[in-house]
Amino acid sequence: MRLEKCWFCSSTVYPGHGIQFVRNDAKIFRFCRSKCHKNFKMKRNPRKVKWTKAYRRLHGKDMTQDSTFEFERKRNRPERYDRNLAENTLKAIKKIDKIRSDRASDHIKNRLKTGKVQRQKEARKQLEQGIHLVKAPLALAQDSSLCLPKIKVNVSQAQIEENQPMEE
Amino acid sequence: MGCAIVVHVYGGTPTEATPQELICIRVIGASNCRYTYIGDVIIAVIKEAVPNIPLEISEMIRAIIVRTRKELKHDNRMIIQHDDNATVIIDQEGNPKGTRIFGANAPKLRQLNFTKIVSLALE
Repeated sequence: MRLEKCWFCSSTVYPGHGIQFVRNDAKIFRFCRSKCHKNFKMKRNPRKVKWTKAYRRLHGKDMTQDSTFEFERKRNRPERYDRNLAENTLKAIKKIDKIRSDRASDHIKNRLKTGKVQRQKEARKQLEQGIHLVKAPLALAQDSSLCLPKIKVNVSQAQIEENQPMEE
Repeated sequence: MGCAIVVHVYGGTPTEATPQELICIRVIGASNCRYTYIGDVIIAVIKEAVPNIPLEISEMIRAIIVRTRKELKHDNRMIIQHDDNATVIIDQEGNPKGTRIFGANAPKLRQLNFTKIVSLALE
């Protein structure tokens, strides 16, 4: 039993799922579901189809190079069954999987970080420029309790000085 | 169940000294059989022939189906589909008439003891 990769979307194909297409030059294409199969029949290039792993890797959306990928390389030589080896492998698979998914999500987080900072900057600018839409500027000036959220009032030091003589 | 080469449908042949197109007439071993899969022996008539071959148009021959465009479901629930419909022309005992076989072949042929075909096939 072997878990294959879908040719189109690169997800794992479990046994009993999907269709295998054997081309006349004996190249085998495995698909995880009919969606991928139909896209293939439409002659779509997975590198141009946005939801596939091929596209995401090509356009830097997902992690491409990492040492954890080495563990998943296809090996054609079957290993002789050794109980210890099998046990250790199963434990390792879990751990490596966790490391890989953590690194992948970090990659995505880092990629999205610049966008977040940008959005905050834009939001602050919009607030400063557009506060007149929310409250009339005259009203702001007159009523001092209404203030822009970014203004901080430092009271802590003065309060401490006042409290000390009282306690005595 | 499902359908593969419906009787009266053209199939190409991948052996060396072969015609280009056959039409399937009947299935051997089953009466009133509508559909055939990979591994079934059929009686076929040659519709189109490549010149300089011992076989001519409208000759009746036996052939075994090796590839179908219709998916074949295996026992281990694997579904395999090929690119075309193809047969290998055989004689009464099941030995291929040609000397070379092109294209991929299904593992089912080995199960059915068509060893000569399997050994000639490259892929």
